[in-house]
Amino acid sequence: MLWKIAKKEFLLNLVSARFVIGFLLCLFLIPFTVMVNIDDYDSRMRVYRVDKANAENSFKYVRVYSYLRPEVVKPPEPLGIFCRGISGNVGSRVKIWLGEKPLFATGKAAIHDNPLLNSFFSIDFIDIIAIVMSLLALIFTYDACTREKEEGTLKLQLSNSLSRHKILLGKVLGVYLTILPIVLFCYILSTILILHSPNISFSAGDWGRIILLFFLSLLYFTVFIFIGLLISTRLKSSITSIIVCLFFWVFFVFIVPNLAVYMAESLKKVQSYDNLQYGLQDLNKEFQNKCDEYYKKLETPDWGMNWNHTWDTDGRRILAGCTKSKMEHWRKKFVFSEPLRVDYADKKWNLQKAYLDSLDQQRNFAEMISLISPSEMFRLVCASLCRTDVASHYRFMDRVRRYRDELIDFLRDRNIFSSFIYFTPQPQETFMSADEIVRIRTGGEFNTLQEYNQWAKAHNWSLAPLRKVDITGTTFGEYPFLDLSDVPVFRGKSENLLAGLKQVFLKKVAGLIIVSVIFFYLSFLSFLRYDVR
Amino acid sequence: MLKTIIIKELQNNLYSLRFHISFLLCIVIFAVGTIAFLKNQDAKMQEYSKYRAEFRNELKETAESNAGKLAVNKRAFIWRPRANAFISDCKEKYFPNRFIYSAYNVYGFEVGPGGTNPFLSTFQDLNWSFIVSVVLSFTVLLFTFDTISGEKETGALGLTLSNSIPRATVLLGKYVSAIITTMVMAIFGIVLSILIVLFSRKVDFTSAMLMETLAFMLLVFLFLSCTAAIGTFSSVIAHKSNVSLLISLTFWLVFVVIIPNTAIFWANKIFSIEHSDVIGRKIYAALEEHRRSAPPGSASSSDANPFMPEHKLRADLETKLNDAEISIKNAYYQDMFRQLERTRLVTLISPIALFDYMDEAVVGGGYARFKKVWADLHGYQVQFLQFFKAMDAADPDSPHWYNPWGDYSTTKKPVAFEQVPLFDEKPLSLAARFSFLRNYLVVMVFYIAAVFSLTFVLFLRYDVR
Repeated sequence: MLWKIAKKEFLLNLVSARFVIGFLLCLFLIPFTVMVNIDDYDSRMRVYRVDKANAENSFKYVRVYSYLRPEVVKPPEPLGIFCRGISGNVGSRVKIWLGEKPLFATGKAAIHDNPLLNSFFSIDFIDIIAIVMSLLALIFTYDACTREKEEGTLKLQLSNSLSRHKILLGKVLGVYLTILPIVLFCYILSTILILHSPNISFSAGDWGRIILLFFLSLLYFTVFIFIGLLISTRLKSSITSIIVCLFFWVFFVFIVPNLAVYMAESLKKVQSYDNLQYGLQDLNKEFQNKCDEYYKKLETPDWGMNWNHTWDTDGRRILAGCTKSKMEHWRKKFVFSEPLRVDYADKKWNLQKAYLDSLDQQRNFAEMISLISPSEMFRLVCASLCRTDVASHYRFMDRVRRYRDELIDFLRDRNIFSSFIYFTPQPQETFMSADEIVRIRTGGEFNTLQEYNQWAKAHNWSLAPLRKVDITGTTFGEYPFLDLSDVPVFRGKSENLLAGLKQVFLKKVAGLIIVSVIFFYLSFLSFLRYDVR
Repeated sequence: MLKTIIIKELQNNLYSLRFHISFLLCIVIFAVGTIAFLKNQDAKMQEYSKYRAEFRNELKETAESNAGKLAVNKRAFIWRPRANAFISDCKEKYFPNRFIYSAYNVYGFEVGPGGTNPFLSTFQDLNWSFIVSVVLSFTVLLFTFDTISGEKETGALGLTLSNSIPRATVLLGKYVSAIITTMVMAIFGIVLSILIVLFSRKVDFTSAMLMETLAFMLLVFLFLSCTAAIGTFSSVIAHKSNVSLLISLTFWLVFVVIIPNTAIFWANKIFSIEHSDVIGRKIYAALEEHRRSAPPGSASSSDANPFMPEHKLRADLETKLNDAEISIKNAYYQDMFRQLERTRLVTLISPIALFDYMDEAVVGGGYARFKKVWADLHGYQVQFLQFFKAMDAADPDSPHWYNPWGDYSTTKKPVAFEQVPLFDEKPLSLAARFSFLRNYLVVMVFYIAAVFSLTFVLFLRYDVR
């Protein structure tokens, strides 16, 4: 008898306008969204390739260790086509500095090229499922009891020896049978589109996750079926029922997500990023003062001239062609400054960590509020499944920070901070004294630095006489790049099927199941007492 | 007769369940949104004034040690949290939030970290604009989807038309009453929100804000007329109310969800611009070209001797490098502006997007504000450079070889901080707002007229039996 009711419901639904419109809506929206997201993935992939090439170059074309600042580039997540999560907000590139631990990834704007486009939001497959499937579930169930009551068929049915729970179950089954093909169709269609796209390849684990996504969609759908059923059993007319259902839908799907984040923003305070930067700048100044103090104690070199000299932030410096004592002077500076720089990175991290924690608290708070909406619960679980959630990002950043430690350990173990190769490609035995350099460069015009200085003083410190004869080995281009084969490289760990999912399943999926059971139980109770007249 | 129909419809609407639910929802969100805004604004302003104080300190320190550094150092201008953002925040937190400039140039704009918490999903503030564009647009559809098809089902439409009432009057009556009903909600919500703002005293409710509120209400009226027309349209193309409901929901989904959220796709497909890495390579190549052709000694420098002859070469080279970079970048920025403006044109199919853009002009936020700051900052930079050059001219220890990237060959004397011109953002003028609004307004009026006349034509042929 149960099956008969289910079949009747199914057939009735199948010929209804709502089925046709719902199906058409999916037929139009799903391929379109999947295409938009495949396109987005392709452009992320393009950006990734460019970034990757740049990162490899920055690792390859290095002549001194002070310029070794590797960049970690995270490949785009193929499952992000289904659910983008926060992948659009956080970047994918992390540069490893000595003076600062990685706080955020950069490069998020590169995906659009035009940062002004950030004012447009984007939508993914899971959003569509969350919006359309919940709508369909409500549209198929809002009149489950009210319509039959209005038509009088409910009374007739119950006058037979048919238990109420069978009718309710039959209706649920009927709706399930109607929607199942639509959900299945959505997934198959998007899978076909993805398979046709040349850039995307999923691992076996990824396919497993897609299947989990499918079952999760069914669970999500179930929750809304029971919400619709409950509303239908509590109200007497179909039109009231649909209005109530739709308001619940708008509330859960459109208002709660914005409400939750907005409330979190105003209730959980976060220091502004720029003020954090001012805090860090103070530490930078402190570091610089300590260095300057130490530098004062050093012996002054015989000649301050740096023949070829390029420098940049974070202690990057490359020199060639200065005097032996100047080189030694620089070496002593680095012996002091670089370990101190690393120590200061740890000090800065205290501030940064506090900032990160406050951001995380804000997010946590938003997540807590958003859990009143099943669709937000569903989105969060999907983001974890697609590895685009916050936890996945944290795991990545943790790995990057560990990699930085590894790199610093490597530099320390090899005593690179205290060796000349940290800042000059020039071999130690080719360093010259000031007089030697002056004699060779001026072609014998001046024999000592003192002679040149006397002349230069009267000639506005012109360097022209020093350009007469070149000394080989004083330009950077004459030296090969460093052999960095023994330097540790960042390895992205591949995650197994269920990595990072235990917590999510324990909390949120269990939450979804409990919510659906409660709604079912309530609608069941309500239907038992339903006045069918 | 029209009046009778409107009054009858209004009574029907006001007593209906949908009115009660939507009114409650609307009022609650208006209240919650405004309270949350006030708390948020308070915290943001505290952080902002702290930031401004730090910024001025840093500026003062630099000015009082070396005016050359003051001119050369790149700084970021960050705009202040807007006090009228409870009307509409225009998604400003996702806009480029820092404008980079020095005395020599405005270098560009960036989306730096700190605009919004990156770990939060993208969201819209619960401001008036959001409530109107999502909640009220939905509500107005709920009031209009069954105006015709619903009455047909109950048979009331046939009865009404059996009297000597022209169809136009019936349609107009129902249409107008739906607009009035939702306008009532909007006005109640807005008044409540203003009361909360007034009582909190955290934000000054200025006369300018009052004008903005009135202009906003006018926009709400136009917007609701547009969505009501779409709802009535769904009602006359179907013969059953549940079908017209589905049709109007589909319209709503397309306008609220699909069109605004796929704009980036259209932007990249139809109005694609060059990729930023390509531009980066172009800049690199142009700079390399200049570097190669520069005379020897162009890279030399000495902190001790400003008059070192090589400094002139260096200043020449670095001016050329800077100009080359700026000219490529400026062309790229123009492409970006065009891309955004054209993409916005495509999204005008959605009345919600249209309403959002019009809001920007009303509150002086979003892209309208962005363009204003961009233009004003250029004006300020010229003034800043003039100030610096005048200072430099008075310094006998400077060779006056202006170099945008270094202070080797310009004055290094301190300058009193009070004399340094500071950039301050000015609100958009009325004329600027109107010129931004004008075209969107025309589209909106045209939209309403087109949809309503189509509905009217269809209704004339509607089979009421």
